[in-house]
Amino acid sequence: MAIKDVYQGTRAIGRALGVTLKHLFEAPVTVESPDREPIAVYPRFRGRHYLRRYENGLERCIGCQLCEAACPTGAIYIEAEENDPDNPVSPGERYARVYEINLLRCIFCGDCEEACPTEAIVLGHGYTLANYTRRDFVLTKEDLLNPPEPNVVIRPEG
Amino acid sequence: MSEKQTVTVTIDGVQYEVPANIPLTRAMRKFLGIDIPTFCAHPRLEPVGACRQCLVEIETPRGPRLTTACTTYTTDGLVVLYNTETARAAREATLEFLLTNHPLDCPICDKGGECPLQDQTLRHGPGESRFLEEKIHKNKRYPISDLIMLDQERCVLCWRCIRYLEEWEFKPQLGLYHRGGETVIDIHPDHPLTAKTSGNIIDICPVGALTNRVARFHFRPWTWGPYPRTLQQVPSICIHCSQGCNLRIDVRTDRVRRIVARENMAVNDWWICDKGRFAQGFFHHPDRLTQPLVRENGELRPASWEEALQRVVEGLHRWAQQDPEAVGAIGSGKVSNEANYLLQKFFRLMVDTNNIDHRWGGDVLADPTGMGAIEDIYRADVIVLLGLDIAEEVPVLATFFRRAVRRNGARAVILHPRRVEDARFGVYLPVWPGGEAIWLNALMARLVREERFRAAARRHAGGQAFLTWLSDYGDLDDLPGVTEETMAHVVRLLADAQSPLVLYGADVVRGRAAEANAAALHNLALLLGEDRVVYVGPDANSLGARDMGVLPAFLPGYVPVTDEAGRERFRRLWGSEVPEEPGLTYTQMLQAAADGQLKALFVMGSDPAADGAWAARALEKLAFLVVQDIFLTDTARRADVVLPATTYAETDGTFTNMERRLQRAPQAFRPIGDARPDWAILVALAQRWPVREAGESRRKPRKGQRAARSPQARWTYTTPQDVLTEIARVVPQYAGLTWDALGTSGRYTAGEGVPRPRGFQQVPPAALPAEPEYPFTLVADRFLYDHGTLIRTTDRFARLLAPPVARMHPEDLARYGLKPGKEAVITSPHGEVTLPLAADPTVQQGTVALAYSLPGAPLETLMGPEGPGVLVNVVQPDAR
Ligand code: SF4
Ligand code: SF4
Ligand code: SF4
Ligand code: SF4
Ligand code: FES
Repeated sequence: MAIKDVYQGTRAIGRALGVTLKHLFEAPVTVESPDREPIAVYPRFRGRHYLRRYENGLERCIGCQLCEAACPTGAIYIEAEENDPDNPVSPGERYARVYEINLLRCIFCGDCEEACPTEAIVLGHGYTLANYTRRDFVLTKEDLLNPPEPNVVIRPEG
Repeated sequence: MSEKQTVTVTIDGVQYEVPANIPLTRAMRKFLGIDIPTFCAHPRLEPVGACRQCLVEIETPRGPRLTTACTTYTTDGLVVLYNTETARAAREATLEFLLTNHPLDCPICDKGGECPLQDQTLRHGPGESRFLEEKIHKNKRYPISDLIMLDQERCVLCWRCIRYLEEWEFKPQLGLYHRGGETVIDIHPDHPLTAKTSGNIIDICPVGALTNRVARFHFRPWTWGPYPRTLQQVPSICIHCSQGCNLRIDVRTDRVRRIVARENMAVNDWWICDKGRFAQGFFHHPDRLTQPLVRENGELRPASWEEALQRVVEGLHRWAQQDPEAVGAIGSGKVSNEANYLLQKFFRLMVDTNNIDHRWGGDVLADPTGMGAIEDIYRADVIVLLGLDIAEEVPVLATFFRRAVRRNGARAVILHPRRVEDARFGVYLPVWPGGEAIWLNALMARLVREERFRAAARRHAGGQAFLTWLSDYGDLDDLPGVTEETMAHVVRLLADAQSPLVLYGADVVRGRAAEANAAALHNLALLLGEDRVVYVGPDANSLGARDMGVLPAFLPGYVPVTDEAGRERFRRLWGSEVPEEPGLTYTQMLQAAADGQLKALFVMGSDPAADGAWAARALEKLAFLVVQDIFLTDTARRADVVLPATTYAETDGTFTNMERRLQRAPQAFRPIGDARPDWAILVALAQRWPVREAGESRRKPRKGQRAARSPQARWTYTTPQDVLTEIARVVPQYAGLTWDALGTSGRYTAGEGVPRPRGFQQVPPAALPAEPEYPFTLVADRFLYDHGTLIRTTDRFARLLAPPVARMHPEDLARYGLKPGKEAVITSPHGEVTLPLAADPTVQQGTVALAYSLPGAPLETLMGPEGPGVLVNVVQPDAR
C-alpha cells in the first residue's frame, strides 16, 4: 500500500512538472508593455476615448452634455458655447468649448458613447494609459480630437 | 373674493369642491393635483384656448362635448370627463400634431429638462412618431432683440409671449404672421423688442423657442443638484432697483449661469426686469478686483490683505487721532444691510465721527416710510407719479401700474420734466425740476377748497395756519405748460379718490428746491393720508441704508444723533460712546474734501468720482482715500488703498426694498480671487484698530458707570447672520427678524419709529430761476440701462445703453439754430461738457435732458453739488 502510494505520488508530480517544463520552452503569451507591437483586442473592447469629426472637419460634438449626465462616475466635464456662424466649430448652433474626461474616474463602461446623439464620443482600443502626473490623466478636447492612433471604431451594435 | 366661494364639479364621476369661477385647468392642476397637459394656459395670463392641449369632455344637454378646459370656468354642477377614450385620444392627437413640425433639437435646446413639451409628451404623448416627412423649416437662431433669441421651429404658438407683452407691458411688440402650418411668431418688421421686462417671455415660453442670449448654452436645467458640477439654484433677489424682485441665480462650478424670475406675489408677481435677468456679466468679469492694492510711489500695486488692512487702519487712525471730524465714510444703497450697519458702527465707534452717508442719502429729504405694500398700487384709484420715470426706474412696478390703470380703472397723473413713456397712461403735466413745490402747493390750494381736505388739515398741528398760508399759492403763472383746466381735472381726480397713491423719485427731494418740495410732500401726505405719499429710492437698499443709520444725523433706526436718551441706549448696546454732533452729508463731505477740511475718506460700494468733475477734483484733495469695491472705479483709481470686495451673490446679506420688506440674498458662489465680503473686511479692520487705552477716551464715563469696554471686544461676528442678529437687537424696526425667519420671500420690517410727517410745514418755494445767459433748464433722466459697472460689463447691453447725447425739443433746436447729431458745448455755472445733440419731442421746450451716469459724467458735471434744477446754455460753435 505504501509502495503504491509512493509510485502514484511520484507519477503525479512528474506529470505536473512536465507541463511546467513543456511551457518553459514555449514562446511567452504575455507581452511587454508598453508593447512593441499592437495586441489584437476584441472589437467591443472599450479603451481610451476620442471625439470624432465629420468628413468636412467639423466636430461632431454639440456640447449637449448628455454624456456627462450619463457618466456614472462623473468623469466628464463640458462647457458649451454658441458657434460663430461664420466660423463654426460644429454644425448647428452649439459646440463644446471645454471637453474633459478624467481617466482616473472613468470605469470604461461606455455609457457616454451610448448617450451621445451624434456619435461624437467613442471609446477606442487604446489601452496604454499609464502616466506620471494626475493632471495628465485628464484628457482635454485637444487630446480627444487628436488621438495617438486614429482608428475610429463605431461599434456595429450601436 | 370669488376664490373663497366653492362649487362642486364632477370629474370622471368623482365630486370635488373647488373655488368658483376659475379656469378648469387651474382648478385641476392647483387644487386637485390632476396633471392635465396645457401650453397656452398660464396662471398670470388671460386664457385664450390657443393650443387645444387641454381638451376634456364636458357634459351638455346634448351629450359630452370636447372643450378646452382652460377656457371653461368652474361652475356648480359642472360635469367633466377627463380620462375618457375620446378626451385622451384628442389630447394625444394634439400633442402629435404639435410634434409634426417640431425639430429634434432637445440636445442643444436650453429648455431641455424643464420643457413642458418634453414632459407632457412623455406623460401624455403617443410615444411614437408616425411622421416621416420632411419638417417645415422656419427661422432658427433669429434674434428678436439684443437679449432674446427666437427659434420659430420650436414655437408651439401658445401666444404666451404675445399676451405677456399685451397684458403686462401694454406693448404689442410680437405678433403672428402667416397661416396654417406656416404660422410664426415674429416681431413687427424692424422693431426689435424694447419692453423693459421682455425677458419674462423666456421664462413663460413653454418650449425653447425664446432663449436668453446672455446665458445661452451655459447651463442645462436637467443637471440641477447641490454639487459643484450640478446646477445649483439659489433663491435670491435683484439688487438693481428698490423693488427687490425675487429671482433665482443658477450657478455651476462657482459661476453664475443664468438668472430667472422667482415668484413672490407680494413683491414682483412672477416677473423681473431685463436688467435683473440679463446683467450678469459683472459677477465674473475679468476686470473684477481680486486682490488688495496699495499706493506706492504714486502707483497702485498689489499687496497682501494684511498689508492693505494695516495701511487702512494706520491711515484712518492717524487722522482720527488728530481730528475725527476730518474723517468720513460713504456707504451705499447697493450693498447689504449688514455691510452698511458695520460701516456706520465702525466709524461711529472707532473713528468717533458722524460723517457717514451714502449717495442719495442725507441730501435727499425723503421720509423713508416706504410703500404700505407694493400691491397697494392695485388698490389705488388715482396714482400720481411725481418725478418718477417708472418704466425706467422700477420697470416691474411699471407693469403693475399699467395694469392698475388699464384693468382696475385707476386714473393716473404723471408729473415729470419730460413726457416719459408712461405719460400715455394718464394726464401728463410738465413740471420743471425744482418747481415741484410750486405745483404741489397750487394743487393743495385747490384741494382744500373741498371740505373733506379742510377737515383733514385741521386734524393736524398747524392745519389752520397752513390753510391760510396756502391761499397765497394758487397761482399757475409760475408753472409753464399747466393750464387751469388740467389742474382742475387733477384736483377733481384727487378729490374723488378713495385711495390715492403718490410715488415720487429721489430728484424731487434733492437740490435747491429739496426743502420746499419735501415740505410740500409732507403736507400732501397729511391731507391724503400718511402712507399715500411714498418715496421710491433709486437703489436696491435705499431704505436699508437709511434704516442702518448710514446717515449723518441718524443712528440705526432713525434715532437722531442729538438725542441724549437714544445715544445712551446705543452706548449700552455697543459698549462705547457715540458722537453727538451731526456729521456731513455725502455732498457736504465732498465739498469739505475740496476745501481741505476732510482729510480721510472711506468709500464702500460707491463711486463719488462719477458724480462729475467737481467730485473727482474733491477726491484728489484728500490725504487718505480708501475704496472698497468690486471694480477699479474712477474713485478707486485715486485711492491710497483699494480693498477688493465681493458682489452680493458671494456672501449672505439682506436688503430692504421700497415696501420695507427685508429679504435675503444668500451666497450663490465662492468669492473670486482674494476678494472678501464687505462685512468681513470691516470686521477685519475693527479687529486691527488700535486698542484705546483706559482714560484715553475723549469722553469720560459717567459716575457709577464702568468705563466702556474697548469697542473691538464686541466685533466677534463670524458670519453675516451674526450681524443681522445684532441689527435685529439694535434697530427696533428689525426686531425679531432672523435669517431663518425671513425665509425665501422676506418679511416686512416694522414701520414704527420711522420718521413720518408731523404737522404742517410752511416752506415757501423759490420761484424758478431765470438767467438770460442760461436759457435752458437741465433735466436729469434716469435710464434703466445706464452706463454703470453692473450693466456695461454685460456685452449684450452695449447697444442698449443710454445714448450719450443731450436731448432737446425739435422746436427748440430749430429756434436756436442748433443741429441735431452735431456736438454742442453745454455750460452751467458748475462746468462745461461737449456732447452731440439729439431731437426728442418728449423733452419739454426750454429744457435739455441728459441721462445720469453717462461716460464722463456730463450731467453730474453740469449739476455740480447743486443737484437738479440747474440752468444751462447750449452753443454749437459751427452751427451758424
Ligand atoms: S466610459 Fe463610462 S465612466 Fe468612462 S467617461 Fe464614459 S460614461 Fe463615464
Ligand atoms: S460627446 Fe456627444 S453626448 Fe457628449 S456633449 Fe458631445 S454631442 Fe453631447
Ligand atoms: S422645446 Fe423642448 S421639445 Fe423642443 S427641442 Fe427644446 S427641449 Fe426639445
Ligand atoms: S414663442 Fe414661446 S411663448 Fe411665444 S407663442 Fe411660441 S411657444 Fe408660445
Ligand atoms: S391650455 Fe387650453 S387651449 Fe391651451
